[in-house]
Formats: sequence, structure tokens, C-alpha cells
Amino acid sequence: MGRSVSWTEPEKLAALLASVAPPRPAALVPLVPAMGAMRAAGGARARTAAVTPPAPAPPAPKKVTPRLVQTSDNPSDRLDALVGWTLDHQPCTGAFVADDNGLTLAAHGISEAHVALVGPLLSALVAVRAIPGIDASRGALWLGTNMMSWVETRTERGGFCLGAVGREALSIEALDELRDALDTTVRGL
Amino acid sequence: MIDTKILDAAVSDLRNILRDGLVATDIWDRTAGLSLAGYNQQPVAVALFTRITQELESSLVDSSFPPLARYYLLDMEGNHTAVVVNHGTLLQGMLVDNKRANLGILIAVAIPRMLESVARAKLR
Repeated sequence: MGRSVSWTEPEKLAALLASVAPPRPAALVPLVPAMGAMRAAGGARARTAAVTPPAPAPPAPKKVTPRLVQTSDNPSDRLDALVGWTLDHQPCTGAFVADDNGLTLAAHGISEAHVALVGPLLSALVAVRAIPGIDASRGALWLGTNMMSWVETRTERGGFCLGAVGREALSIEALDELRDALDTTVRGL
Repeated sequence: MIDTKILDAAVSDLRNILRDGLVATDIWDRTAGLSLAGYNQQPVAVALFTRITQELESSLVDSSFPPLARYYLLDMEGNHTAVVVNHGTLLQGMLVDNKRANLGILIAVAIPRMLESVARAKLR
């Protein structure tokens, strides 16, 4: 009967594996000696400081940003509430809402001149969005001394942009939160 | 046939949005010169801006410029901005205190809302 294809020569296989396997790490020295080892040491209280690695600290609870809830139908109040929510819950020193021409709808801690940057910025992104698969509805822009992070949303009345100015660009999670808050606000405008 | 109740509601909505930034507004039929709804209505302004708008539109046509679209703005002395909104057969004038009214909200929110409301009123 011929050899089965599943038949292997253990010695040859082991040698082959040894030639390609990474070097085995040195055997780990137990930090806590076995009880038998201590008795074998003659009862001497050669106590090595039983170093027990400290239990890892529990991870800090993740900060949960409360969702923006709009309570007013008045557009000015809604926009001011959005700016206030952004300042309260995002790491920023200024926040604004602008239309897609760069006109300021509400702002705090940022000049209208800087808000006006949104106009040419969003115009420039029109061509970028024509590239398949490119969303370009959020981003960050270095202003020289601060970073402006922004998100955009579009309604039947046009585009609106929510921006925050701070030392660093906001995270993707923060930008998601901004977008959600902006959508909630402009839905009633 | 124009539903003036919708026009009144639209004016009320405009006052709610612009608050003390809105000094006066009228919505009128540009042929009859008759104000259909408004706040702190100004009959002289209705006549003035009917004429200005007609002159502007004919000048644009004569100059082969694109026609007037939704609105035009005039920056005036005393922190005032006059806005004339083109609703087709109707015109609307607004006098706005530009220190109290946000220009962005005026253009991006108030004017589009007025255009929608007046269009609904004209459909009736």
C-alpha cells in the first residue's frame, strides 16, 4: 500500500520547522517561587520581595458628549444654542455657524473675517467632491495660530457650516458629534 | 388669488426671526402698488421701490446683463439696509437695522423662508 498524502516524517518535519521558526524566547522566570522551592531552600526566610505586578489601572471612563437638544423654533436661538453647545462640549476656544458663502449666522470667539474663509473653502471643495468616493464634508484648516475644524451639511435652502477653533484639530468622533448637532439645528431653520 | 393670511403669517415669522432688527416691511402687488401685508407699513417706500425695481430690471435687460434674481440690497446711512425681494408679480421691501439684524440670518434664513411663504400664498 502506497504512502498516504497525509503521512509525514516527524523528524524531517521538526527539522524543517526549526529552520524557519523564530528563536524561542528564554524561559520565563516565575516571579513568585513555587512553594516547594522555598522548602528546598532549607527553611531560611530568604524572602525575595514577592513582586506582584500591580493590576492594571482600570481605563478612564470615556467622556460621553450629550447630544444637542433644540428647544426653540426661532432660528437665532437655535443657532446660538448650537454655538453654545460646541463651546461647552468640544475642546475649542471659538465656534461659529456660517452659510456656504461664508456669511456668519452665529459666532463666538472668532472674527467674521475668519468665518468668511468658509466661503472660498467650500467653493474649492465642489470640484473635490466630484471625485468618486470623496466626501469632503468635514476637515481642518490651519489658521496660523489655531486650527479650525469644520463640518458641512446641505439642506434644500443651501449649505451650512459649523466650525470650531482650537489648538488642535478635532477628532473624527468629535466631528461626527458636530455634524449631528448641525443637522439637528438646521432641520428647523 | 393670493392668500393674505399666509402673507400675514410670513410677516409674523419674519419679525420673529429678525426681532428688533426689522424696522419695517411691506409685501405688495407691483402692478397695483397696493400693500397686501406688512409691519410698520410705508406706502411711500412701496411707490419708490416699485419704480427703482422697474428701472433696475429694464436697465439690466438693456445692458444685456443677467436679469434680477431673488433680491437686491442697499446699504443706507444710519445703520440701515434696504432689501427688496423679488416674488415675481409681488415685491417685498424690508428696512433692517444692520446693527441688530444678522446679515447671514437675513440672507440664508429669512429671505428663503419669505420666498417659500409668498410662493405658497400665490398658489392659493
